[in-house]
This record gives sequence, C-alpha cells and structure tokens, in this order.
Amino acid sequence: MTENVREIWSDDDLDRALAALHSEVDTDERALARARAELTGVAEPAPRRYRARLAAAAAAAVVAALVAGLLVVQTGSAPPRASAAAEALNSAADRIGASDPPIGPGQYRYVSTHAWWLSMFMLEPRGFSYLAENLIEAWVPADQRQRWLERRTVTGARKWVRGTEAEARAAGVPIEEAPPPSEEWNAPPSGGWQRPNEQWLAGLPRDPQQLYDRLAADAPDNDRGDTELLVYAADALRSGLVPADVRAALYRALAKLPGLEITDRLANLDGRTGTAFGMSDGDIRHEIIIDPETGAFIGERETTVRDQDGLTAGTVLAYTSVTTAVVDAAGARPS
Amino acid sequence: MTESGAGEVPAERDRPVLGGPDPMIEFGRLFDAYAAPLHRYLARRVGSDVAHDLVSETFLVALNQRHGYDPRRAVVRSWLYGIATNLLRRHVRQEVRRLRATARAVGWADPEPGHEGRVTDRVDAAALAARLAGALAELSEGDRDVLLLTSWAGFDSTEVADALGIPVGTVRSRLHRVRTWLRANAPTHSTVEEEDRD
Repeated sequence: MTENVREIWSDDDLDRALAALHSEVDTDERALARARAELTGVAEPAPRRYRARLAAAAAAAVVAALVAGLLVVQTGSAPPRASAAAEALNSAADRIGASDPPIGPGQYRYVSTHAWWLSMFMLEPRGFSYLAENLIEAWVPADQRQRWLERRTVTGARKWVRGTEAEARAAGVPIEEAPPPSEEWNAPPSGGWQRPNEQWLAGLPRDPQQLYDRLAADAPDNDRGDTELLVYAADALRSGLVPADVRAALYRALAKLPGLEITDRLANLDGRTGTAFGMSDGDIRHEIIIDPETGAFIGERETTVRDQDGLTAGTVLAYTSVTTAVVDAAGARPS
Repeated sequence: MTESGAGEVPAERDRPVLGGPDPMIEFGRLFDAYAAPLHRYLARRVGSDVAHDLVSETFLVALNQRHGYDPRRAVVRSWLYGIATNLLRRHVRQEVRRLRATARAVGWADPEPGHEGRVTDRVDAAALAARLAGALAELSEGDRDVLLLTSWAGFDSTEVADALGIPVGTVRSRLHRVRTWLRANAPTHSTVEEEDRD
C-alpha cells in the first residue's frame, strides 16, 4: 500500500473513537464525599479569618491570597461591656414588632445585600488590596419553595486599602472592568445558618436559651471561640429572611454570649446608623449592627484588631448592609 | 433559562463572586456542581485513583487562590479545569503509559475484517478507541489538553482558552491541526493489516 492511498478517518470516526476511549471510569462517591468534607472542613472556619491556612502554596508571580502574619501579642482592647451589650440587645429585641410586613400572593420579598469585600494581591516586594463593591439582590417568592431570582452586580467601584490603583496596575495586578450583572432563577436555599429557608427557620426554638444552645451546637469546634457563634447568627441574619419572632429570640440568645460587647454606638453602614455588637478572636473583630430603635438588622463589619498581612490594625476587611422590602414583581426594586 | 438540574447555574454562565469573607457556601456549591464531572474528565486521562486526588487538590488550590478568580474574566468551570490541568502536568508520563497500554490491550480484532473504504460503523467503537489511543499518546500535552477539554469536558473554544490561558484563536487553530493530524495518523484497520503484512 502506498502512502497516497492511505486511508484517513472521517471526523465522525474520530468523534466516535474519542467518545469511546476510556469512557468507562468509576467515580467513587465516598471518595468525593471525603474530598468535600476536607474542603469544607478547611473552608468552614478558616477563610473568614484570614489565617495561616490561607497562605497559598502557589509560588506564582501573582498570588492573590492572604498571607499569614507573625503572631503578635494582642494589645489591649476596651474592657468587656458585656452587660451593657446584653441590655442593648434585649432592648432591641423588644422593639421588634410581632411580625414582618406580609407578602401577598404574587409578591416578592426583596433582599438587597450591599457588600464591600476585600481582595488582596500579594506581589513581591509589596502587596495590594482593595475593597470591591458588590450588590447581591434576591427576589424571594411568597411561596419560598419556588425558585428565587438572584442578581449579582460587581459595580467596579473600589476602595483602595493598600497601595493605589495606579501603583497596582503598574505592578501588573490584573484589574479588569466590571462584568455585566448576572441574573439567575435559583432553587431555594437548602437550609442551615448559612442558607436559611422558611422550613429551617420554622424549626428553630423561640426560647432564647434553647436557641443559644442550638447555635452553640451547630457552630463547629474551632479556635475562634464564641466569635463563631456571632458569625453563625450573622450568616442567618444577613439573609434578610429571619422572621420577627426568631430575630428577637436570636438577639436575646446573643445577649448570653459572654464576650460580646458594644463596640460602636454610632456605626454607620450606607448611611444607616446603628449599634455595633462585636467580638474578637484575637485577629479579626466581627460586628453585627442593629438599629436600636426598630431592632432591624442593618448589617455587619469585619475589622483587623492587630497588624497582619500588611494591613494595619483597624482595617475594615468587609462590610455588608442588608435591606428588605416587599415588591410586586421579580426584578423590581422598591420605589 | 436556568431550568437545568436542581436549579444549578448553568456552567457556561456561572461566574460567582468568590472573594467574599464567607466562601464556604460558594465552594460547597462549586464542589457539588463540578467535582463529579471533573473527576470523570481527569479519570479518563489518568485513571480514577489519581483523579480523586487531583479533584481534591484542585478544590483546595481553588480555595486558596479564590481571590485570583475574576468572574469577569472566565466562567468558574474554566478556572477550575485550568487549575486541574496544571496539576495534571505532574502525571503526563502516567497518562501516556495508560494510552499506550490501551492501544496494546484491546480492539485490534476487527469484527468484520476485509471491508474496504473508511473505518465504518461496523467497526466496534472500542476498537476505534484503541486505535486512537496510540496516536493520542504521540500528541504534545498542550494539544491533548485542547482536544480533550473540547471532546471530553465539553468546553467551547472560549472556555478552553480561558482554562489554558491561551488566545481563543490559538485554541481553534490548534484543535483543527490536531484533529487533521489524528485523522491522518491514527491507524485504520486496513492500514494496520497492510503494514503487518509488509
């Protein structure tokens, strides 16, 4: 057979062969479950607190990650004002009405989360970081078992925390324009402190002590102490879906947290002012901010309490404000 | 338009914000959406056991580097497979050994020998695959990435480009070149028979 009559495969043959090659592979579900547990075991307590575990192994030129600082003795913060905090929280709980504004058939609860989140870029010899503005909006149907509309917008607005945009660009930090907003109809959340849904919320105890016990039982064992309980409560409150009675009980439960203190009487988030209740794990102070007049959950804030990762003590790592309203259509904003 | 599965975001539009202070929720979702197909893709290349390790490693690297993911630049699936592709580099020799073993082990028995013309539907798909395997082993790793991300992972050219960090035009021309080469160089039944007789 000479070369010029050599047969060749058709595209179809090639595709069939590719489809068949090594097509019989087994995925071990248990191995995947282990990998997932390993991932979330790392992820659950650690990433929120910008610690050593987050130091990226990658030695790439641009490592966008958070690098562990040296352990430094924590310097004196204000003395605990636990009783004042408890009093203020119980008072805020008293101000919460008996119920939330009702949602009629066909209407939606609109939950807007306005967040500034820190991005860090570790470059040699210096790093850069900025807070990026994100707007996450959810339209929750009256029947919460139906799909929810979610819209995510990265506005492109940035507040530079370390370095300037010009310096970062000059150093090669990849900074691009904001993408168009994404909009999806998603399945309702699965339940839990991080993804609360109606059914899960209904199952929570209304008794503050029982709710406290539940919170303590659900928050994983970790080296963050009781701060993790505050974070778990904040996770649920941030959803904007915690009903009035549970919210009041949750405030009263948090009032039992020994280390919780009033950290700011006039915390301002997006122009709304409230009382900040905070706890520190030695690295980061986590605060929830509550309107003392109405008991509304305004938002939360995370701040460094010591110099770390090139950030000075007192740097705001993230802040989020939450507003809710009832609207007539998915995609509509309150007027 | 997002009526797929249990309400997941379709992969071609999935651009989550991962840099937030609370990544656990997103990473749990990402794992549930992408770990199984990623495992299957990697298992077809380097075998199931290594693939399990690679999946685990991919997500841990992704978690550590989540601030480097820019949802404006690529869908998250491309980013994850890009990480996996880098990790796969350590297993190139294993992949090539595996392809050669497949080429040797099965498929040379044509169920209906003697047919003329192109390889036809009568040829068992497994036999075709075995013939292809030897030719795949000859490709460069980069060429194999483009071909298999397209064929096995189901990526379009843009997603392949984003995963590999190369221009989309390069992906298209490389894919065309690789397919042309394979069609000409993967042995057909009869060429092998002829060569064997020679």
